[in-house]
Amino acid sequence: MNPFPIAWASLRRNTFTAILFLLIVALAVALGIAISAQERALRVGSARAADKFDLIVAAPGSHNDVLFSTVYLDPSAVELLDPAITRLLFEETEADFVAPIGFGDAIGNDPVVGTIAPFVDHLSGGLAEGRLFEGINEAVIGALSPHDVGEELEVSHGHGGATGTDADAAADAIEAGEAVPGGDGDHPHITIVGRMQPTGTPWDRAIVVPIEYNWAAHGLGTGHLPDDIHIGAPFDPDSLPGLPAVVVKPKDVAAAYGLRAAYRTPQSTAFFPAEVLVGLYALLGDATAIMSALTLAAQALVVAAILAGVVAILDLQRQRFAVLRALGASPLFIFATVWIYVAGIVVTGALAGLVLGWGAAAVVSDLLAQSTGVAMRAEIGARELSLVGTLVGLGLILAVVPALIIYRRPVVEALR
Amino acid sequence: MPGLPLTVSGLRLAFDCADVIDLASLAVAPGTMTVLSGASGSGKSTLLYLLSGLLRPDAGTITWAETDIARLGEGQRDRWRRKQAGFIFQNFHLIEEMSPLDNVLVPIWLDSFSAASKRQRALDLLRQLDVPVERESVAKLSRGQQQRVAIARALIGDPSVIFADEPTASLDAATGETVAAVLQRLAREDGRTVVVATHDPALKTLADQTVQLDHGKREPAP
Repeated sequence: MNPFPIAWASLRRNTFTAILFLLIVALAVALGIAISAQERALRVGSARAADKFDLIVAAPGSHNDVLFSTVYLDPSAVELLDPAITRLLFEETEADFVAPIGFGDAIGNDPVVGTIAPFVDHLSGGLAEGRLFEGINEAVIGALSPHDVGEELEVSHGHGGATGTDADAAADAIEAGEAVPGGDGDHPHITIVGRMQPTGTPWDRAIVVPIEYNWAAHGLGTGHLPDDIHIGAPFDPDSLPGLPAVVVKPKDVAAAYGLRAAYRTPQSTAFFPAEVLVGLYALLGDATAIMSALTLAAQALVVAAILAGVVAILDLQRQRFAVLRALGASPLFIFATVWIYVAGIVVTGALAGLVLGWGAAAVVSDLLAQSTGVAMRAEIGARELSLVGTLVGLGLILAVVPALIIYRRPVVEALR
Repeated sequence: MPGLPLTVSGLRLAFDCADVIDLASLAVAPGTMTVLSGASGSGKSTLLYLLSGLLRPDAGTITWAETDIARLGEGQRDRWRRKQAGFIFQNFHLIEEMSPLDNVLVPIWLDSFSAASKRQRALDLLRQLDVPVERESVAKLSRGQQQRVAIARALIGDPSVIFADEPTASLDAATGETVAAVLQRLAREDGRTVVVATHDPALKTLADQTVQLDHGKREPAP
């Protein structure tokens, strides 16, 4: 037997309604797919963004705040790390490099972050254009920065950032072209000398300057003796100011755990970004699980409602099915025709929903990436396929109900 | 395919404790057209559904050749209709979303996945019955053409028996006469057994046998 031509004809008989049913299923599925794919894109994107920040050392306080400020450049008020701890960090032999991180300034909406050249090189994996900064008034820009290499910029001071500083005077001095207290002279403007490769982090929009510039702008000296004009390590241990965070690249895994343990003290805290993210993801995962369950329940209700509608529509075609019986169709043929009719709507709707949901997640990911700077890519994975598979399976099972209802209709009454 | 002889005896069917069919006997020879006639509610359509196996009697036998379909289960009666019978209805009951050709092939799909082997026969039948085969939908055909598509559909499986339920009732007189002539030809020229439930006098005049029913009982011949 071949019930497909009859099922197809029955779908064409109520084309508008069939399309409406299909769209409802597609939208219900798309909602679930978008939530699931978006959650994973957010998780993967944020995890990748933190990859290069091996170990973060900061003043005791919220790991979340330090993580968000350091990795995602989301300004928040964090305590400064005691310079004595920074001194110890710079003396560590188990670290490939120790990168002070300073933030709090901006040019327009682009954050200005202070650090050392080796960290820029580590984060970027080599520059896309130009060279690393070699002077206090030079900068390297992120891959997505609207500025150009060779451009001169003026930094505006005071966007969030460190507490316990009195940098206004220094900033004013810079802006006025005057010498910065403790600094190396006047450097109100910075010149862009290089562009980083894409990192998939908010650092792609940042203007990265030597940490000395950052300190000087906040009236904290340069971290070197007054007559020392070089930038980067080594720093003068007695000239080091407080820092919001220090990124440490340990030599190996054992060193990483050793350093983390060593700097978990009353004066400092040390953590791997992953351990903070795992906690956040657990919360996100719980919320996603609840939303996914609710979405699946909503989808099941949608399918059930559509099945009720299908029964009503196919009941209007009962004479057609009675005629088929008169022509010799078995009850199984009628059952198969109705089942294929419903399955066609559910499967096509689910597949359309998969594409629609993926598209929606891709658009949302793009918007989120634009607003956060964290590169996100929505992908369809096993979880989304499983979600669609569950709904399709449920739909195919529930499709038995209208098939049973229709095939049991008395033949002769429908023929009269 | 040659027609089948029919022998009916002691046929009874009741709804709500009241007899709707009470037929002591009936014999139909192959190659003849038998008309079941009577007023509305006389039971002619019910008898047609009994003879075709769509309804199962409470008592009696309905023997087509050697097969008493009253003793068959639902699935066996479905199979018997698929193999032995063709059905023509008053309102044609074609599938509007299909072409004339696909409508004719519907009975083939009830049994086989592919109807390719019957496609040429379907086209031949439609041409013989003067139906324009190129139309996308039967809805675009005249009522007479639609009824001829229904006849082609009934003939696609080359059945031994043709059942027709008021086949001319919704046609104009001229078209009705054409359809009646086709039915007569199916019996006399092709040798099929044709059973028609109708109140159309034109069909009665062409019939080899008329069974006049009144409240489910056979009235004696005048």
